[in-house]
Amino acid sequence: MKTMREERKNGMRRWALLVMLLLSFLATGAIAAQAEPELATAERLRLGQRMYQEGILPSGEPMQAYVNGDVPVQGTSFTCVSCHLHSGIGSFEANIAASPVNGRILFQPRKPYIKGFEYVPAYHKYASHFPERPAYTDDTLAELITAGIDPTGRSVVKVMPRYDINDDDIAILIDYLKSLSDQLSPGVSDTEIKFATVIAGEVPEASVEAMITPLQFHISRKNSLALAYKNHPRMARMAYNMIGPEIAGKTFTLSRWLLKGAPDTWRAQLEEYYRAEPVFALLGGITDGDWEPVHRFCEDNRIPDLFPIVDYPVISSSDWYTLYFSRGIRQEGEAGARYLHSMYELFAGQPLVQITRDSRRGHALADGFHESWGNTGHPAVIDIILKEGEPLTPEQLQQIISEHKPAVLVIWDDEALLAAMDGLTVSKDSPKFILASGTYMGEGLWKIPEQLRDMLFVTYPYRLPQDEVRFDPTIKSVLQGKPLDTTDPRIIRQACIIGEVLDDALVKMRGEFYRDYFFDTIGMMADASFPLYERLSFGHGQRYASKGCYIVQLGKGVKPQLERLSEWVTH
Amino acid sequence: MTNFLGPLTFLLLFTAGLFCPGQSAAEAKYQRSEVSISVPDVVLINQDNEKIPLRSLLQTEESVVIDFVYASCTTICPILSAGYANLQGKLGPENHNILLVSITIDPENDTPAVMKKHLERYQARPGWIFLTGSRADINTVMAAFDAYFPNKMSHQPLNFIRTTEKGKWIRINGMIGGNDLLNEIKKARMQ
Ligand code: HEC
Repeated sequence: MKTMREERKNGMRRWALLVMLLLSFLATGAIAAQAEPELATAERLRLGQRMYQEGILPSGEPMQAYVNGDVPVQGTSFTCVSCHLHSGIGSFEANIAASPVNGRILFQPRKPYIKGFEYVPAYHKYASHFPERPAYTDDTLAELITAGIDPTGRSVVKVMPRYDINDDDIAILIDYLKSLSDQLSPGVSDTEIKFATVIAGEVPEASVEAMITPLQFHISRKNSLALAYKNHPRMARMAYNMIGPEIAGKTFTLSRWLLKGAPDTWRAQLEEYYRAEPVFALLGGITDGDWEPVHRFCEDNRIPDLFPIVDYPVISSSDWYTLYFSRGIRQEGEAGARYLHSMYELFAGQPLVQITRDSRRGHALADGFHESWGNTGHPAVIDIILKEGEPLTPEQLQQIISEHKPAVLVIWDDEALLAAMDGLTVSKDSPKFILASGTYMGEGLWKIPEQLRDMLFVTYPYRLPQDEVRFDPTIKSVLQGKPLDTTDPRIIRQACIIGEVLDDALVKMRGEFYRDYFFDTIGMMADASFPLYERLSFGHGQRYASKGCYIVQLGKGVKPQLERLSEWVTH
Repeated sequence: MTNFLGPLTFLLLFTAGLFCPGQSAAEAKYQRSEVSISVPDVVLINQDNEKIPLRSLLQTEESVVIDFVYASCTTICPILSAGYANLQGKLGPENHNILLVSITIDPENDTPAVMKKHLERYQARPGWIFLTGSRADINTVMAAFDAYFPNKMSHQPLNFIRTTEKGKWIRINGMIGGNDLLNEIKKARMQ
């Protein structure tokens, strides 16, 4: 086969299609002659997926392509998934539409409307972005991928790379496209979409309620729309126009999957629940222990879990199926280190001491701190570990200060650290300030004695309370009369976010209810401000939506407010 | 009796949120214009976690090209970054005199570690740096280049080439091929 470049130089004509057909004919002939055993289907799909997601050819070499005419690019820089996304349903960015590439859509003729949805404005607008074309065949599809010519003879936009792939490998890739987003995902029927939420271990009833109430509110609101859609023609017309019939008419269900006993039995329990009721996705979820078993279950079964409410999320840069609110407790440690880095000039060369309670929370904070601090290249901190049950005493603290003379002291402990600090005598060896965790101190944050407020800096991974009040009306409407303070206000807010993002994503999916497209769609959402978090941001593959954490101080007076010392995100 | 309030609020939430990308996939050649830019005096952070004062960075003798990208971007940034990788390859080791500067428009996600990985994916060589910073500083820079995108998903493919005349830049809007970009840089050097 000629290189793509030569082909382009000669100008790609329609007859090239014939050449291509001829070549592929010869190629298949050659294979038949060698009578090699055909690759098993599963293996072909695996290889196809690797091309699509990692840009690696079956030979192990990176795929080669040209974009923008003359710019060479390797599959390991980016490949199909970057633009057409995991589901293959495609993406929109900056006026460029990467079309759907799942077999179901490719092998049907494309009209400037979507059949059955001709009069739904959102669908209509979507469809109008793509020019008409007949259905692809395997051969015309190969032509598109290698030469960028679609079945009408149109040379597609140069953003779509022209790939240098041989006929055997193209066939493998096409097999994968045929399998991609083929059948609607489990849990979706003509009339409903099923969801579940996981409650793992001994979670206090109030916390469970705080999560379930807003979720159930969203589900019920959706179901009353489905009912109105059926029974009230005017409502139906409106819903049809605004969100389309696919979503308007469907009801949602939410099951509770309770996991009991030891965490190492959770996986089996999850599989059992899933066998009995295959749901489309998990919403939220809450635990008193480790989330890892649920995370793995989702990963292995490719079930999305939208925003579990957990302190210790699984940290991974490649896992796909759980979208977390943040990196959890450790994010405070990371933010603390970045804050100190931002003002490093003030204490460069002087020692930094980190005192950590020997607890899960303490270690998560310290790990986060270490990771971020390690990235700065500054000298390591001096680590001191406090035994789990023994409170930090003023004498101990004084001794650490006299011994190490730290410029800054980081203390990851609960509010007991206040008593230890209170006994400190100020001397020339005193640290410039002490950094602690707002969530670890809990209510202690509000009890910081007046004389310590200047020197105690605290991590706070939420919007400040005085700014958060503007969301109270929204939250109250969700609670429908239940008082705000009987349940956990933080969990309520998190569950409200789950409901909002869920509704938004399902509408934007235009009836393409594939699990992978669910997270692809959320990945395309704009950054936004939500209850509790100053900003949540999304993006292809981003799995920890809040990146922020303030460093604050308790203000002066008897009714003090938190005062911001940092931005939401520091580097 | 059906309560309409629930369904109605559900619907109203989406009047603004309909999926509405811009024009169709029709392709135009890139647009070129000359613009005056006053580079703001901000300190940004590079992929090695070093503080970089933007003004002094750009006051180099070398040619300077700037784009606005982010690491988790789908369609456009891969193309822009492939363009920079290609440019570096074309220049060869004997010709380092072009400074390529990518500035993130997603400073929250794009930490130095994330930016470093992005550069590695494109086999970037010295002379191509990726900058992040506080959201306020990044917004200031985007505004100064008239490249402010409140929603990162709707950003445009832009390249800025510094000319020899102080404060004058060439603004390239659209997808530009490798040779075209090199030619524009050469032209800007004469200007
Ligand atoms: C940098 C982004 C990008 C990458 C990477 C990319 N594509 Fe595309 N692709 C596009 C765009 C944009 C279009 C729409 C082109 C048009 O219609 O003008 C497209 C169109 C297509 C089409 C035509 C669909 C139709 O209905 O006509 C197919 C098939 C396709 N791509 C497959 C692939 C495959 C397979 C890969 C990987 C080997 C890939 N693409 C990689 C951006 C990309």
